[in-house]
Amino acid sequence: MRYGAIAMLPLAAGAAVYGFAFGLLAAQIGFPWWGVTLMSGLVHAGSSQIVAVEHFAETFAVMGAALAGAALNLRYIGIIATLSEILSGLSLRMKLLTIHIAGDENWALMMAERAKNPEIGAGFLIGSGLVMFSTWTTSTTLGAIAGATLPNLERFGLGFAFTAAFIAMARGLWRGPANLAPWAASFFITICSVSLGVPKAYAIIIGAVCGLGLSRVIRNRKRRAA
Amino acid sequence: MSFSHWMLILVLALAAFAIRVLGLIAGDAIRSSRFAWVLDDLPGLIIVSLVASSLAGETIGTWLAAAIALLIAHVTRSVILTMCAGVAAYGGMV
Repeated sequence: MRYGAIAMLPLAAGAAVYGFAFGLLAAQIGFPWWGVTLMSGLVHAGSSQIVAVEHFAETFAVMGAALAGAALNLRYIGIIATLSEILSGLSLRMKLLTIHIAGDENWALMMAERAKNPEIGAGFLIGSGLVMFSTWTTSTTLGAIAGATLPNLERFGLGFAFTAAFIAMARGLWRGPANLAPWAASFFITICSVSLGVPKAYAIIIGAVCGLGLSRVIRNRKRRAA
Repeated sequence: MSFSHWMLILVLALAAFAIRVLGLIAGDAIRSSRFAWVLDDLPGLIIVSLVASSLAGETIGTWLAAAIALLIAHVTRSVILTMCAGVAAYGGMV
């Protein structure tokens, strides 16, 4: 457990910067610092929180924002599924705690370490997860405290900081040329929808669903060709 | 904190935890089902649509800053570096 916690520190430093920026953004749209602490502690999913809050800032629609955030978290079905063997020795309560503190960073680090040494397992995941969990709640709270005392940060490009973060996340999710057509379709259809006056919250859903449809057509055609 | 702020926290927390529990209970079954591709494809498509919605109707400077961020993301694959470079580029352009 201790080894996992120590190995996690360099990645945690990166997450702290990101968490601080998220706290700033959340404070700007009316979350008090303790509300940000509560959200980070209960949700514990960085990219979902950012997407949901960014969405909420533009529309103030709770369900749309929560759905957009949650959809981004669907990858956790796959991430948690890969842990079934590692978690099998734990009690149900420990399992639930471990999956709550498992995030992209500590999951990836644990998988990489385990490939080198099969002894590494639940202890490492919990140790590194506790470091990530405390880093995330603390850095987002500090960001929110700073954000509440600062003037409107939109002028200094805070909104664009998250557009840049999303671009980097997209790079991380890129799986090769097969993504190109669906991604391009989502991009252009969202732009067109917004230009035609569709509210952004719906434009994002229209864009994503059209991309999903195109991806489906391409996959079917490939299967038929094979 | 208004009612909608509270609701956003609670709904998002419930959804995030439900997804994790679903992964624990049925993750393997879902991953081997015929809908597995939706799990792979949807996150990327949502992110791309989000970027598109924030760039729609923006100035050429914002688009250029986004292009610079994309270049940095491609080279470094780092979220933090991309955020810093993106904001610097945006500050320089707009």
